[in-house]
Amino acid sequence: MSAQSPRMPILKRAGLRPFPPRVSAFTRPFWTTLGEGRLITTACRACGRLTFPPKLVCRGCWSEDYDWRELRPSGVLYSYTRVHVLPRAFVADGLYDFAIVDLADGVRLMCRLLGDPAQFAPDIPVEMVVAMYDDGPLFAARPTG
Amino acid sequence: MRNAAILGYGAVPVGIYQRVKDGSDPPLEHELAVRVVLDAVRMAGLRKEDLNGVVVAHPGDHTKQGYFHTFLTAYLGLTSRSTVVQVLGNGMTAGLAFDEGLRLVRGGETDCVVVIAAHFESGTPTADHLNFSIRLTGDVDFQSIFGAVPIAWYAMSARRYMHEHSVSRAQIAEVAVKNRRQAALNPLAQYRTPVTLDEVLAQRMIVEPLGLLEVPGRADGAVALVITSEELAQKSGRPHVLVRSRGFYHEGEHQIPDRHTDMTDYQSIRIATKTALERANIGLDDVDVFQIYAPCTIVEVMATESMGLFPRGKGWAAAADGRSAFDGSRPVNTSGGLLSRGHPPEATPLYDVVEACIQVLGLAGERQVPNARVGMTVSELGNYNAAIAHILEGRP
Repeated sequence: MSAQSPRMPILKRAGLRPFPPRVSAFTRPFWTTLGEGRLITTACRACGRLTFPPKLVCRGCWSEDYDWRELRPSGVLYSYTRVHVLPRAFVADGLYDFAIVDLADGVRLMCRLLGDPAQFAPDIPVEMVVAMYDDGPLFAARPTG
Repeated sequence: MRNAAILGYGAVPVGIYQRVKDGSDPPLEHELAVRVVLDAVRMAGLRKEDLNGVVVAHPGDHTKQGYFHTFLTAYLGLTSRSTVVQVLGNGMTAGLAFDEGLRLVRGGETDCVVVIAAHFESGTPTADHLNFSIRLTGDVDFQSIFGAVPIAWYAMSARRYMHEHSVSRAQIAEVAVKNRRQAALNPLAQYRTPVTLDEVLAQRMIVEPLGLLEVPGRADGAVALVITSEELAQKSGRPHVLVRSRGFYHEGEHQIPDRHTDMTDYQSIRIATKTALERANIGLDDVDVFQIYAPCTIVEVMATESMGLFPRGKGWAAAADGRSAFDGSRPVNTSGGLLSRGHPPEATPLYDVVEACIQVLGLAGERQVPNARVGMTVSELGNYNAAIAHILEGRP
C-alpha cells in the first residue's frame, strides 16, 4: 500500500457512533487505517478497477486478487441533504447533513458532511476528514479551505 | 404463451388504519385484505372455487401477522394447485406480485389467481420506522452508518437536478399541487383537500430541499386483483383489462455506484418502459395514461423524463402547465399518485394497477382521461436501480 497522500485531519467527536459499522477480518484494515487518518479501498490486481466500499471480489472481472490502495482525500460535492425527521438511533445527534462525494481518484462515496451549511453547494471542492468518536472513526467531508 | 387479463379488483381507501384513534378498535390487516379479495372476486363474477393460486405482496415489516400468504389463504378457506407465495422486492414488491400472478396465468399453471397486498405500518412511531429504514438505505456498514433514510436519495437527486437544470424547488413542487388536484377526485385517495403551491412550500422540511408535502406520508392500505386467462375473461362477458406486455431492468447497482454517474437519470425506467412498449408493438404516443411509482415530487419529474415523456431538464414544467394532469396531453398519476392518493409502500404498485384499470375501463368519473384505452404502470426503485413496467388495455 502506498502512503503518499497527506493524512486526513482527525476531528474528535463526543459520544458513540449512532449506528456503528460491523468490522470483519476483511474490512478491518479499512477501519484501522481510517483511525490513523488514511482512507483506503480495494483495487483489482487483474483489471485495475478501484471500488468503494472495499470489496473482496472485483465487480468488473470477478478476480479475487486485490490490493489495498490509498485514496487521495479530496473531491467534489455531488449532492447533499439535511435530514429533519430522525431515526431513533440518531435522535441524540440532532439534525445532520450527509453527502455524495466524487473523489479525485474516480470513486463515489456517501459520508457525513461537516462545516457551515451556508457554504454547501453542488460541485464545490471538499476534503475528507475523520470524525473520531469514543468508539471509533467515521469518514466525513467538509468544504475545502 | 397466452395472455392474461384483470377481471376484478378491490381496494380500501389509503389511510391510517393500524394506529389506534380516539380509543376505537382499529381493523386488522387481514380483515381489510379479506374484504378487498371478496370485492375483487365479486366484480369478476367468480366464485371461491374458481380461484387456483394466491400471490401476496410481502407486507411491510411493521405489519404484525407473519407468513401472511398462508395465513390469509387459510382464513379464506382456499386450496391451490398452482402456488401460494409471498413476493418481496423493495418498493416494487406489489409490482412483482402482480407480475408473478400474470406469469402463472400466462404459463398455463392456473386460469385464475388472486393477487393481494396489505400494508400496515401507521402504528409504528416514525422514529422507529426510520430506524428500520436506514438498514434499507445502502450498505449497512458503509452508508447506513451516516443515517440516510430512503427518501434522502431523492432529496439528493432533487438538489442535483436543481443545480444542473437551474430549476427551483417551487417549480418541482408543482407536481404536488397537480397530484393533489387529482386526488381530490379519487375516493381511494388519502389526501383529498386541494393545496396551493404556497402551502406546499410553507411546510416544514423533511429532507432538504423537500418538505412535508413533497414526500410521501405514512399510510396503510389493502388491495386485491383477480387475474384470469384472456379466454376466461372474454367468456365472462364482463369488462376486463388485457395485460399486453411487461418490461424489466436492473442496473446492477445498489443505490450509489462506485464511480461518478448521473444520478438524475433513471436508466432502469428508460429500458423497462421501452422494452414493454416494443413487446406490445406500440409507441409512447399510443399510451393514454401513466401510473408511475413516484414517492417524491422530484421522482415524477425524473421518471417522466427518463421514459421520454418530456425532455431532460424540462419535466418539471408539465405539472405547472397541466400537460401531466388527467385533462392534459400526457396524464400522469391520475389517482393523485404516491403523494396524495397515498403510499402504503408494499401495496402501492397494486393501487397504481387499480387506477390504470379504472382509467382504461372508463370508470374514473370526474378525473377520467378522455377515451383512455391503453395505460402504463411503472414501479421503480429509484436509487435502488430497477424498474418494472406493464402495458394494460381496457376492454370495457
